[in-house]
Amino acid sequence: MRGIYLAGGYPDAGTFKKCFNAVVKNGFDFIEIGIPFNDPTADGPVIARAIQTTLESGITPANVMEEILSQRGTTIKKYVMTYANIIYSYGMREFSERMAGCIDGVIIPDLPNRMAPLFYDSGFDIPIVPFATLESRESDIEVMNRSTSEIIYFIGVRGITGSKSDFTSPELLDKIRMIRENTYKKVIIGFGVKTADDARQALAIGDGYVVGTEAVLRQQDPAALDRYLQSLNHR
Amino acid sequence: MLSDRGFYGPYGGQFVPELLIPALDRLERAYREFSGSDASMTEFNRYLEDYAGRPTPVYHARNVSEKYGFTLYLKREDLLHTGAHKINNTIGQALLTRHMGKKRVIAETGAGQHGVATATAAALFGLTCRIYMGSLDVERQMPNVKKMKLLGAEVVPVDEGLRTLKDAISASLKDWVTNVTDTHYLLGTVAGPHPFPEMVAFFHAVTGREALEHFRGRGFLPDFVIACVGGGSNAMGIYQGFLDFPEVALIGVEAGGRSLGPGDNAATLSLGTRGIFQGALSYLLQDKNCQVQDVHSVSAGLDYAGIGPQHSYLKDSGRVRYESVNDNEALQAFHELTRLEGIIPALESSHALAWALTHADELRGKQVLVNLSGRGDKDLGIIEQQNREEL
Repeated sequence: MRGIYLAGGYPDAGTFKKCFNAVVKNGFDFIEIGIPFNDPTADGPVIARAIQTTLESGITPANVMEEILSQRGTTIKKYVMTYANIIYSYGMREFSERMAGCIDGVIIPDLPNRMAPLFYDSGFDIPIVPFATLESRESDIEVMNRSTSEIIYFIGVRGITGSKSDFTSPELLDKIRMIRENTYKKVIIGFGVKTADDARQALAIGDGYVVGTEAVLRQQDPAALDRYLQSLNHR
Repeated sequence: MLSDRGFYGPYGGQFVPELLIPALDRLERAYREFSGSDASMTEFNRYLEDYAGRPTPVYHARNVSEKYGFTLYLKREDLLHTGAHKINNTIGQALLTRHMGKKRVIAETGAGQHGVATATAAALFGLTCRIYMGSLDVERQMPNVKKMKLLGAEVVPVDEGLRTLKDAISASLKDWVTNVTDTHYLLGTVAGPHPFPEMVAFFHAVTGREALEHFRGRGFLPDFVIACVGGGSNAMGIYQGFLDFPEVALIGVEAGGRSLGPGDNAATLSLGTRGIFQGALSYLLQDKNCQVQDVHSVSAGLDYAGIGPQHSYLKDSGRVRYESVNDNEALQAFHELTRLEGIIPALESSHALAWALTHADELRGKQVLVNLSGRGDKDLGIIEQQNREEL
C-alpha cells in the first residue's frame, strides 16, 4: 500500500484539490490528509510551516473536513491525520458521525495506542490507526491487534516528520520483523521515505509506505508534485 | 496528590507520540522506586536542606497587614537557591535522572526560573543540559539566560509560534522524541503527560508540609492560602499541605493580562474549556476552531494556555477557587511589597499577592498565607520598561 500525506487546505483550496487529483492519477492506494492544529508537536519544520500558513490564511478544520467530504466519490482510501484536540474539541461523536463512510481511519500522532479507548468510549466510531515504533514491545502489538484498523503505522525513526530513516539498520529490520510476526495487519512505514529508492526499500521490508514532507514541499506547485509522484513509481 | 492511573477525574492522561510511551513507563517505574526508597528520599531531603536552603520561613508581613487590615504571611520560597520554588523539582528529577542512568537533561523555560534551576541541578550532578526558551522570553529574561549559560547549559531560543512557553515545550517534546534513549525531559510544571503532574507535585509537596507545620506549631491554620497559577507547580506545592482541611480556603490566581478578551490573558481555568494540549487533557484556552489561543501576561512565567490536570480537577470539585488579576494589579502589588516590606517579589508571585490586596474587604481580620514562589530581580527589565511607558 503506497500512500501520500498532504496538508489539508494548503496552500489554498484550489491548489490542494489539484494535488489531491495528482495523487489519485498516479495510482496511489491511499491519501492521508492533515487537518491543521497550531501546536503540531510531531511535525518537523516543513509540515509545521505548511500548517501555520494554512491557519493564517483563514482555513479552519471544518473547511478541510468539507474538502475531504467533497472527495467522497473517489475510490482512493482516505485517512485523516490530525492532533487529538481537533477531534476531542470538535466532539468525538460529532466528528465520527460527520466523517463516517468517507474516511478509512484517523492517524493521531499525540494519541498513543493506550489512550485510543478514551475516544472509542466517547462515541468515536472510525478506526484509529495504531502506531508501532522502534520502542514497541510484543505486548504493544497485542494491543494494536484489537484495533479495527486495516493498517499499522510504523515510525522507523526516533524523531519528527521529515527525519531520515535508515532502512538497513539492524534495529529497524529486527523491529519490523517482530511486528509482522505478531500481526496480520498491514505495516505501513511512515516517516523517512523520500526517494524512489527509499520507497523500494520500504516495500521490501513492510507492506507499504507513506511520504509526507517531500510531498508537502511540492504542494504549492501541483505539476512539480505530479513529477515527484511519478518518480516514486519508477521501480 | 495521587492520580488514578494517570487521571484526576477526567483530566490528565498521556497524549504524546507512541514513541514516548515506553519512556514514560520507565520514568514512572523509576519514580515509584525512587520515592519509595528511604535512601533516595534521605538524599533528596539532604540536598533540599544543605544545598537549596530548606526549610524556608513563613514571614509575618506586619506592614502590609497593618495597611490592608488582614494578617499576611508569606511562605518565603523566594529565599531558596536560584530564587524560586523550582529548585525542589529540579533536584528531585536530576537525582531521578541519575537513578535511571541517563546523562542528558532537556527542559523548557518561560521566565527562565525553571531553566536556571535545571541548569543548576545539571551542574551539580554532572548532567549535560539543554534549555529551550521562546525567543521572546529570551529577550524579556536576559539575566536568567546569562545565568543558564554560566552554569554550563546550552540555551536554544525557539522562534516558532508566539515564541514563549508553549513553543518551548513543543520544542522540548520534539527533542525528547529524537533523543529519548539517553535523555530525560526535566519538565518544570505539573502539566504534561503522566507521570509528570503527579511527580512534580510530589517534589514540591515540601512547601505545603513546611507551611502546615509552621501553623500547627502555633495552634491555628490560615483562613486563606493563595498561590499564583501558570502551569500550576508552586500552587500544587502549597495546596498539598492544606487540601485535607476544608476550613482553609484555597485560592488560585491566574494571569488576567491586559483584559479578559481572547489573546489578552492566560486565565485558563477562568475562561478555558476542556481540551488536549501538550500531553494532557485539561482546561485549555482555545478558539472555536479548536486552535490553542494566544496568551499574554506581564509575567513570563504565567503565560501558558494550558494548566496542570490536578487544577482542572480541583476547580470542578470546587475545592479551589480560581480567579485572575490583571497586569496592573500585579505590578502594583509588586511595588507595594517592595516598598512596605523590603521584599522584591517575582511578577508571578505578585499575582497571588495582588489578589489578596484587591480582596482586602473580604479578607478583613483573616489569617492569609501567600506563597511567595520567587524573587523579582529577574523582572527588573520588565519593571523598568513599565516605568518608562508610564512616564
